[in-house]
Amino acid sequence: MSEVRLTINNQPVTGLSGQTILEAAQAAGVDIPVLCSHPALSAWGACRMCVVEVKGMRGLQTACTCPIADGMEVQTETTAAVDVRKFVLELLFSERNHYCMFCQMSGDCELQDAAYRYGLDHFTYPRPYQKLSVDASRKYFIMDHNRCILCTRCVRACSEIVANHTLDVRARGADSMIMADLDVPFGESSCVECGTCLQVCPTGALIDARSAYGGREKDVVHTETTCMQCSVGCALDVVTRYNRLLRVDGIWGSEPNDGLLCVDGRFAPLYEERKRVTSPLVRKDGKLVEAGWDEALSTVAARFKAGGVQGLTTCATTNEALEAFAGLFAKAKGEAGLLEPVAPVLGYGTTGKLADILDADFIVVAGAQPLDYQRVVGYFIQRAADHGATVAVIADTENSLTKRATMTVSYADADQVAKAAADAKKIVLVYSVGIKSRVIAAFRHLGDRLYTLALSPGRNERGATAAGLKHAEPNGAQTRFFLLGEQSEDQALTTKVDGAFTVVQASYLSPLVEGADVVLPTPVWYERTGHTTDYAGVVKPVAEVLPKPAAVRDDAEVLSALAAML
Amino acid sequence: MGEKITVATQWLESCAGCHMSFLDIDERIVELLKYVELSSSPITDMKHPPEEGVVVGILTGGIGNEDEIHEAKLMRERCKILIAMGDCAVTGGICTMRNFFDKEEVLRRGYIESESTVDGEIPVHEELTPLTDQVSGVGDVVPVDIYLPGCPPSADAIWFVLTELLEGRMPKLEGNVLKYGSDGG
Repeated sequence: MSEVRLTINNQPVTGLSGQTILEAAQAAGVDIPVLCSHPALSAWGACRMCVVEVKGMRGLQTACTCPIADGMEVQTETTAAVDVRKFVLELLFSERNHYCMFCQMSGDCELQDAAYRYGLDHFTYPRPYQKLSVDASRKYFIMDHNRCILCTRCVRACSEIVANHTLDVRARGADSMIMADLDVPFGESSCVECGTCLQVCPTGALIDARSAYGGREKDVVHTETTCMQCSVGCALDVVTRYNRLLRVDGIWGSEPNDGLLCVDGRFAPLYEERKRVTSPLVRKDGKLVEAGWDEALSTVAARFKAGGVQGLTTCATTNEALEAFAGLFAKAKGEAGLLEPVAPVLGYGTTGKLADILDADFIVVAGAQPLDYQRVVGYFIQRAADHGATVAVIADTENSLTKRATMTVSYADADQVAKAAADAKKIVLVYSVGIKSRVIAAFRHLGDRLYTLALSPGRNERGATAAGLKHAEPNGAQTRFFLLGEQSEDQALTTKVDGAFTVVQASYLSPLVEGADVVLPTPVWYERTGHTTDYAGVVKPVAEVLPKPAAVRDDAEVLSALAAML
Repeated sequence: MGEKITVATQWLESCAGCHMSFLDIDERIVELLKYVELSSSPITDMKHPPEEGVVVGILTGGIGNEDEIHEAKLMRERCKILIAMGDCAVTGGICTMRNFFDKEEVLRRGYIESESTVDGEIPVHEELTPLTDQVSGVGDVVPVDIYLPGCPPSADAIWFVLTELLEGRMPKLEGNVLKYGSDGG
């Protein structure tokens, strides 16, 4: 890239070749209003809010699409440009329902801000009052077409960031409408409810069912933390007000997900309805009754001292807790293991990052279902497929990525994929516990062109492995200690309580908790403090977003206290 | 400043929130009354602007029936400067929600079909004014000189407009005094 010298509003500005006027202006601190433009999306040039005058060019130019050139003289707030912006705003406000007084976005709306900026104090044109639909067929967010300005940010987010291609624009002109698939209700469409469209919508057209009317930007608190719903470790911006969870947003530019989240990270955890364990419980006369921490811990310590203990933990907790867990059982001379299986170490290739998927020309998915379990990874693979990368799925069972794959073969035919990859420049092998030795052998010879992404089912598997914990099954121990954390319902442990003295450290009530002898409450994801290790081995902070209930204690603290009693 | 400036207000299709916001200028109203004479308003004995006219007329609320058209025209005839105050007066506001339905459908829903209604009927009486087909802002019926949006406009915005007029300037709304709806400031 070479330097380009131009002037914007008579100020000399140096940009890089390939930049647009908008990008050069933003870098120079010149504010040009936009509606359809978004930094995470391709330039569109639809709304005409960013029009500017360029000396020697006929008419006005859209700053978001016009590339800069040496010697260019740009004026951003001339009468002609401002008149067009006002005209565009008046047309937008007249077309659909843009009455702010009952809109949840009032105060945080980009359309409203633009109108304030240009002093619009009333509507000039008659309004058609067309009754457009409000689509609430999805669980987590609503599309109100009446508030839509057809900027197509949502359409571009769906195709460019998630590469799911659910959204598009129906018809032309005044009849244009955002639609899902072939114009079906959103809830019946191929929408994966990742919420990326919701995050980029400039108006009140996309409504988050939970946080709508819950607080404006000036009222809320933002806490950055790391998602622990799967092993990827996406960066989260958790939005709260008055100690209430409002919303989760992605953070543009963050590692590894660059603002993209999935339904499990953004929405599902905010709708948790299971009953919390809020106090230690100890079984007395056959019944679990509330107890103090001292009593509960001394009951457990007494059993530990008697020997014959096994500890089994999920990966759904912090590095600190997993280290304390390993330490506790080392001290108790018991066995400690992981409930979830761990993706094997291949012993070849470079440890890859999500970004490697985007510049690879060949992607192999073996024994893994990223679109179902590590969805953000799945979306990155879809993006790569859109850019022309070959995607090969090796699976003996159904795999959601098959429909986007260039080739799908069974394990027995893994060699075919290796052969097809022979000429590829950069190969990424995405795998999980389902990978077979035959597949592992097939790709060994690809050498340093191969990048590997191991996706273990455990949420913080890297942290658990670093703490020295390995997958284990329940053994014949007399006392068994389960650290379940906030294990989800569908992962619920089927282990029967089989006569062993059972201690369970968990956030929610479950059959295992109800059958336990001692229950210790643990925090949930937004109450934890510590660190987690992401899919690539990077240690990331987990921040306390909201305070824990009074009688809930941090996992690491409880495990250390228990160790001290031995 | 010499003689007091006369001001009249009237509410049309509105919730009275704009008038409440007017009163929200608090003790500044004492200062204001040094320069302004409030002639008629919905909350004074005199309900209509005097025949001899006023300098400033303030209308809040949208136009939703024949009587409101009459009131708007009367105010326009009798004032020099007309202010459309609040989102309903400016655009029709929240009252325009009924514009998405037929007038008959709205009346049926309100008087007969609403869940709390038993044996309801649509009232018809010679003293009841007919609804317009659609709700509009004041500006669709009479020429407006100053638009002051907001639901309601803040007391500061109302104070700004009145004091600018007292200083002999046409107010130019921008920054904190230009707000739509109730956007939290």
